[in-house]
Amino acid sequence: MSGVEVRTGRRVVGSELARHDAIEKVRGRTVYAADFSLPGMLHARLKRSDYAHARLVRVDTEPAASIDGVIAVYTAADIPQNTVWVDVPGQTMEVGALKARSNVLADGVVRYHGEPIALVAAETEDAALAAIDAIDVEYEPLPVLDDPERALEPGAPQIHESGNLLAHWELEEGDVETALAGADAVVEDTYRTQFIDHAYLEPEAGVAWRDTDGVITIRAATQVVEHFRDVAKILELPDNKVRLITPYVGGGFGGKEDMTVEPYLGVVAALTGRPVRMVWSRQESLLARQNRHAVRMRYRTGADAAGRLVAMDIDILSDGGAYALLSALVLLYSTTCAGGPYRCPNVRIRARTVYTNHTPCSAMRGFGGMQVVVAYEGQMDRLAAELGIDPLDLRRRNFVDSGDTLPIGQPLETAVELPALIDAVAERLGPVPEPSAPRRAVGRGYACNLQPYGRCIWLNDWSSAWIGFELDGTLVIRIAVPDIGGGQASSLIQIAAEVLGVPPERITIHIGDSALNPLTGTTTATRQLYMSGNAVLKAAQELRANLAPVAAELLEVDEDRVEFTADGVRERDGERAVAFPALLAACASVNVPWHVLATHRAPKGVPWQADESWRGQVFPDFTYGCHAADVEVDLESGQTRVLRYVAAHDVGQTINPQSVEGQIEGGVAMGLGYALSERLVFEEALNLTGSFAQYLIPTAVEVPAIEPVILESGEGVGPFNARGIGEPPIGPPAPAIAAAIADATGVRLTELPFTPERVAAAVGAPGEEESDAEG
Amino acid sequence: MHPRPFDYARPETVADAIEALGAAPGEASVLAGGQSLIPMMSLGLAAPDLVVDIGRLELAGSERRNGTVVLGALTRHRELERSDELRDRLPLAADAARHIGNPRVRNRGTLGGSLSHADPAAELGAVALTYGGEVVIAGASGERSVPIADFFHGFFATAVGAGELLVRVDLELPPPGTGHGFSEIANRADDFATAAATALVTVGGDGSCADARLALAGVADRPIRFEQAGDLCRGEALSDGLLARVRRAVADAVEPETDAFTSAGYRAQAAGICAARALESAWRRGRGEAP
Amino acid sequence: MIVEFTLNGSPQRCDVPAHWTLLRMLRDSALRTDAKHGCGEGVCGACAVLVDGIAMNSCSVLAPQVEGASVETVGGLARGEELHPLQAEMVARGGVQCGFCTPGMVISAIEAVRIGAAGSEAEIRHSLAGNLCRCTGYGKIVSAVGAYRDGESPEAPRADAPERESEGAIGAEPSPGVGMGP
Repeated sequence: MSGVEVRTGRRVVGSELARHDAIEKVRGRTVYAADFSLPGMLHARLKRSDYAHARLVRVDTEPAASIDGVIAVYTAADIPQNTVWVDVPGQTMEVGALKARSNVLADGVVRYHGEPIALVAAETEDAALAAIDAIDVEYEPLPVLDDPERALEPGAPQIHESGNLLAHWELEEGDVETALAGADAVVEDTYRTQFIDHAYLEPEAGVAWRDTDGVITIRAATQVVEHFRDVAKILELPDNKVRLITPYVGGGFGGKEDMTVEPYLGVVAALTGRPVRMVWSRQESLLARQNRHAVRMRYRTGADAAGRLVAMDIDILSDGGAYALLSALVLLYSTTCAGGPYRCPNVRIRARTVYTNHTPCSAMRGFGGMQVVVAYEGQMDRLAAELGIDPLDLRRRNFVDSGDTLPIGQPLETAVELPALIDAVAERLGPVPEPSAPRRAVGRGYACNLQPYGRCIWLNDWSSAWIGFELDGTLVIRIAVPDIGGGQASSLIQIAAEVLGVPPERITIHIGDSALNPLTGTTTATRQLYMSGNAVLKAAQELRANLAPVAAELLEVDEDRVEFTADGVRERDGERAVAFPALLAACASVNVPWHVLATHRAPKGVPWQADESWRGQVFPDFTYGCHAADVEVDLESGQTRVLRYVAAHDVGQTINPQSVEGQIEGGVAMGLGYALSERLVFEEALNLTGSFAQYLIPTAVEVPAIEPVILESGEGVGPFNARGIGEPPIGPPAPAIAAAIADATGVRLTELPFTPERVAAAVGAPGEEESDAEG
Repeated sequence: MHPRPFDYARPETVADAIEALGAAPGEASVLAGGQSLIPMMSLGLAAPDLVVDIGRLELAGSERRNGTVVLGALTRHRELERSDELRDRLPLAADAARHIGNPRVRNRGTLGGSLSHADPAAELGAVALTYGGEVVIAGASGERSVPIADFFHGFFATAVGAGELLVRVDLELPPPGTGHGFSEIANRADDFATAAATALVTVGGDGSCADARLALAGVADRPIRFEQAGDLCRGEALSDGLLARVRRAVADAVEPETDAFTSAGYRAQAAGICAARALESAWRRGRGEAP
Repeated sequence: MIVEFTLNGSPQRCDVPAHWTLLRMLRDSALRTDAKHGCGEGVCGACAVLVDGIAMNSCSVLAPQVEGASVETVGGLARGEELHPLQAEMVARGGVQCGFCTPGMVISAIEAVRIGAAGSEAEIRHSLAGNLCRCTGYGKIVSAVGAYRDGESPEAPRADAPERESEGAIGAEPSPGVGMGP
């Protein structure tokens, strides 16, 4: 097995450390966004559209304003800057095609079910709820567009004046048609995926107030501290008059990457001068907040008789919903990953995302790299069946390797351990179990994937961190990182502890505050460990380098014999030691500061051009994985039970193994929901999935014991050669389940989710056609 | 997001409860376990002017009478599921109760509440129809009994009128040699049933069926008895062929609605599958075997 | 109306409208935020608390219904700085990520173990089916509950980790979350 290094001597990194935030959380002491309150705070709520597409003829707020306790009712005209151009969050470089227009409140037209029309601020929650009920809206319905295939046809309702094409990416390498014509086997299929909700346990929430010097301060559950700039634009304030604080967040997964409550909180705090809280109900979160794109993928894949891929023709159509948000960037991920981790000399990719009247779609864990896994893995399985080659062998014959280039021009520079990952998974599995009862069938399926980590390199990603000692030898890290539950903050403590010797329980980290902490970019794109981890590593190493000469002098040894330990510095293999307070006093006397502000910059790349011939590096690196699932299918009811699940990923180097396992297990669970039960159901663009009882995320009963397998190749571009692991595990479950169901029943399903009804219908149990509603 | 304001009454006696309900006909809701009413109020699906909390009424407890088990309206699902006595006497109710919501919901939810709420997919409605017996309803003029077969009127509608309160359920105990069976198809562990079937099969000495009672939830606007079960099974031996006939007969007989999430065809198919499975379990238990 | 009850052992007196749920009373009147609002429908379990020792979704109980009762939230479990054993297991075994489901999960698990509904992995999962988690995939939570049930003393969260030789994990021992006993 190539590329696996034996690493020795790490003290903290790579060990099973309990996360520092876990103790507060298990005691119920963590103050999440909705747990915070200020005396006299107002309560804000949104009036949302009942229609998917309509002109707002009249919005009468007077009946609401006259309710006792209602302080203000705002519509679009009251917002200082209602329409803003939002750039890819957190970046300083603007990429024209990735800017998206965003409305705070609907202005004359509503384009999706649940679009905010009015904002109420009241003394009590009950008064706010009553006010929402009292606002009288007269709608003139407009034709609804709910079919992305129709969106680009003449005569389709236009969602925006610019037309319905939101974004597109196209490329062709080689000569696909000729290659397909000459192929020994060509398989073709269409894969359809569904709208998905993030369904984190913490609904959107925040509190805002006007602080000293008129700084509008917002403490909200968000993944992006840099949104303070977007709120400033909306309020027509200078950037330095808005501050965004992120408490620990109860799950993000991309759903808190675009703004949710932030603009409304800012508006109320700025216009009333009073503190205000806004908490979204679960139902409005399900109804009206951005989702994962539903995607239709048409693939033709050709190979020679030996199973080597010769051509891929890929057409992707993604439903972006009513507003752009991050759809263009999501599509880029799909385009980059569409061919999967496979070599293929002739590739054509045509990817489009269109506007419809569905809820706007945007970021969600996997971010476009996830839906395509169903397609490219499904094609490999089809091809294997067609050629009579074992599906794993077929994959082995085609895997990319370090040194290859993906069709979009992305070089692969780190180890690709996919063969080892397959071996690792296969080694864990024993024989396929017997069915548990008559009229059940058991099957096994595998899937592999690649998922980028780190942001597009031409976004000039950077991350800053400040580390410093207190006089008593405890350590402080200040970094505006949002912690959304993936151990973002605690891994930084581990990194600092590794370098500086201070034990984790003597390190305090201040997170997520745009005014008081150095900015570090978004907690998205599986970039946080890679970026802020590298920033903290750099700062810690610089700090150590500043202090080492002073220490050497005090200890009277050469610098390379200085060791940093829990209480101070000492001579390696020797007796002499100096406690931190004394070391710092010595630093003071020679004007050596004991704090460092460092910035890590991701490698820059040639910026993308709006040109079909553009090729180049998009991402810093990828994480590869292989999963396997055993399922039992009830051949009568179509219910599919996952008996066993193994998930292997090369993470480069684990910073905290327990956190890595947690990300894998959680990602797989989310992927299983995607495969088997989750979907938002619309009818003529009206979202019918109004309650948490109807949105089916897996419970402890549906999710089996997941077996994570961690491979450490030692190659990754994160700190200590780590790779990102937040998103990669969510891609393989759906194709693995599809393959397992096919193995059990002989039937290959291509439309997600694989509900009992769909499985039963495919297996051939008698029944009616699927209902007409979109799902 | 939150229940809208309402007036709240917490009577100490059934008579007081009746009086409170009678004073606001059509605008009052009874609060028993609250596991349906309160979430519905939070979702904006219910907005009564008056909530009458019957939690203090002495309507819990069970009693064995001649050939029946009498259950107070406030018998919690958790008791049905976990009480040794009730599991022993009413095993079908115990099995069904295990599938209602989750443990926290079962700690609070009540038999009377579930039957009165009459969600067509609710398991206990089918259970009650399978056992048979009577529902006792208290009103201004005293108590009256309604046969369970006549209790469910339609979509969330029952024989309980305005100003009335369900106080007891008398379930008929089946004869010796009767086994029970419960089968449900749901999306997830906790969810409302796509379809569910409850069965009681009385088995003769030779293993053949002396009587079969079968009810279904989730396939109509109310829980329903599958009346043909007895005719199809009486005198027959248990066989795959018979189960397949029952399955087809049930799937053909029911006329569920199609909704955005599930087609009528699949629901009917699911009902047939559950019916056959529940029947088989009940039959085997009646024969003294494992289900 | 006035509602008087004990909250984690201390007497509490709240003046709230009758239509407030127990959850809302705890959070907005008693200012205890360790019961979380996750859905308001009784589906997610994040709001679970003990009332007279019985676990219930506080979003599905009205404030007046706890008159005279003893209400316990997760915040009342620890004794000073010493965690309740289940809390300690959850921390040690990685059962806590974003932490939002954790209070309700702990309450539900404590009851499940106490009433003997956590005898096997399958039983634990069934008992926790009404506590949704979106982060962990449940494995480490189930493992923690099993360990608590067995009365194992949890590994104290380690501050000073020993030196460790880290190598490719192929062939390494399975993680604690895997392969819990029947």
